Amino acid sequence: MTTTQGIEVTGVRRSFGDVHAVRDASFTALPGTVTGLIGPNGSGKTTLMLMLASLLKPDGGSIRIAGHDPVTETAAVRAQLGWMPDVLGSWSSLSVRTTLQITGRLYKLEKYVAVQRAEELLLLVGLGHLADQPTRVLSRGQKQRLSLARALVHDPAVLLLDEPASGLDPAARVDLRTLVRRVASEGKTVLVSSHVLAELDEMADGAVYIGAGITASDETMAATKQTMRQWRIKAADATVLETALVDLGTYRGDIARDRTELLVPVAGEAAAAELLARLVAAGIPISTFAPAVGDLEHSFLDLSKGGK
Amino acid sequence: MRDFLSGVGTVISLELRQRVRGVAWYVLLGVFVVLIAIVTFLITIAFRGFGGEDSGSTIYSTIIYFVLLLGTLVAPALSGNAINGDRDAGTLATTQITLIGTWQLVLGKFVAAWVTALAFLVAALPFIAFSALLGGLSPLTVIVSALVLAFELGFVAAIGVALSGIITRPLFSIVTTYLLVATLSLGTLIAFALGGVVIQTDRTTTSTYGIDFNSRGDAIRCSEPTTSTYPSPRFDLFWGVLVANPYVLLADAVPSTFNDNGDPEDLFGWVKAGVRSAQVPIEDSVYDACSDLPEEDNKTAEEIIASTVPGWFVGMLIHLALAGGALFWAKRRTDTPAGRLPRGSRVA
Repeated sequence: MTTTQGIEVTGVRRSFGDVHAVRDASFTALPGTVTGLIGPNGSGKTTLMLMLASLLKPDGGSIRIAGHDPVTETAAVRAQLGWMPDVLGSWSSLSVRTTLQITGRLYKLEKYVAVQRAEELLLLVGLGHLADQPTRVLSRGQKQRLSLARALVHDPAVLLLDEPASGLDPAARVDLRTLVRRVASEGKTVLVSSHVLAELDEMADGAVYIGAGITASDETMAATKQTMRQWRIKAADATVLETALVDLGTYRGDIARDRTELLVPVAGEAAAAELLARLVAAGIPISTFAPAVGDLEHSFLDLSKGGK
Repeated sequence: MRDFLSGVGTVISLELRQRVRGVAWYVLLGVFVVLIAIVTFLITIAFRGFGGEDSGSTIYSTIIYFVLLLGTLVAPALSGNAINGDRDAGTLATTQITLIGTWQLVLGKFVAAWVTALAFLVAALPFIAFSALLGGLSPLTVIVSALVLAFELGFVAAIGVALSGIITRPLFSIVTTYLLVATLSLGTLIAFALGGVVIQTDRTTTSTYGIDFNSRGDAIRCSEPTTSTYPSPRFDLFWGVLVANPYVLLADAVPSTFNDNGDPEDLFGWVKAGVRSAQVPIEDSVYDACSDLPEEDNKTAEEIIASTVPGWFVGMLIHLALAGGALFWAKRRTDTPAGRLPRGSRVA
């Protein structure tokens, strides 16, 4: 038995009849970190999440959640696991407060502990003013927060969040990000699946890419950092900048103009650093120098294009 | 064990608060009370007209039958989507990933559905008290009939919850529950009637008629015996079908009381006598106007019941096996982590 906390997935597969939803998934998510799970629609993300959440049995491979196997030690896993599903179901007749209290009771908390925990969570996710409303009147964003609170009721060591940011307004997203980072800083393992890659970029320490049911290996992920990607450069005078870039060896046809900024293909971080140094050395006043797309988005696009 | 029961208790309270609480439920109870009030009122008037004094037992048995009828009509609607309805609403998986086991979930939902159906019995209490005031009510009848009624409502609740775990779509599981209740309540009657009519045995009647009569009207000279043969339905072969009928089962289980003529004093007794008489096969008969043998007179209900065998416990065992088997199957289908999934269904 491994003693590793967090999530360990090795060679997991699962099919539904002829459909191989997950073919070969392997990754590790460590305590104290936020890991993103990215992949196109139908790539097996949700199936993988359901297997991690101890709701679906894998056909093969092994899963360890906080050191326990969800198939043979289901109760031990569930005691350590918080799951926020992508389907926003709530007990419509129950109030927000009662929902959290009953969830606590379902996790075998003593009655007074469940009551106390509900109050803490109401404050934490900012639903205090709606505590006595039935959950059916909540907006989508509020339901999302209730769902998150429900996943945190028993103070789990591992947290699975399925599309937590969808439907949230910008302010709520910032709140969510702060909350998730805080949970991770308490030493918990957080796995977040999302389509909003920019969102994950700011939240996640690392990412697992899954395409056609297969997770990308670490090497493949590292390789995407070396492929050509667009960098956004802004200088006081775009024409001067363009001339300087051509002088430094960039093919003029590759340079695209986006309003006052230029988009330039650069291969990898090292090359970008070198380019910036040479532009500054050439005396060009640079005000913006950044990747045009986020890290995750770049990996995502690169892998879904090139990968099988 | 305490842990297990406390988990079941949490699920029951969740179910009662989430599923049952609602305006529609109270309206339904209100309509039920009004209906039963009307029925009680009309029966009371009818019996006053006959000059019957101890009409309490008749009114009581009618109320109990009414609760059984409405209970079996409402219970499938309330319990028939307990599990698959939660899955559709997205609240099943969030319960399953907690420390609640599948048995706790299924049993909690079953007990909650049962309690809901029993509310109809509770709502009928004032009328039962009223029938007790009219007199003639035997305590044994009250206890046994209430227990059997509760058992039958529990049976329907169990079937409803179990089918909601076995069948993926709520509409189908509710309809299937209704079909099963209809099969037992009406289907058994149809099978009994059709079976009896289709399988017929020829019986002969040997008759000797009087030709000359004396002044008192007794025959002194008779004709030669004539025999006639006619087909007779064999209900005695099919009475067993009726033991699974909830209404028959209820009537059969309740100990009957009789008046001086050997007639039952409540509805249960009449139903019981009617069903039991089907056990008696029709024999060849002899009619002889000249013989001194007394004519066979018809047996009283009391005699019929005394000479035949009860079948209610067989019916109860059948219901118990059906409910238990269905709940077991539902538990296996609802278990997580899920292995094989039925076609077209999803976990969450």
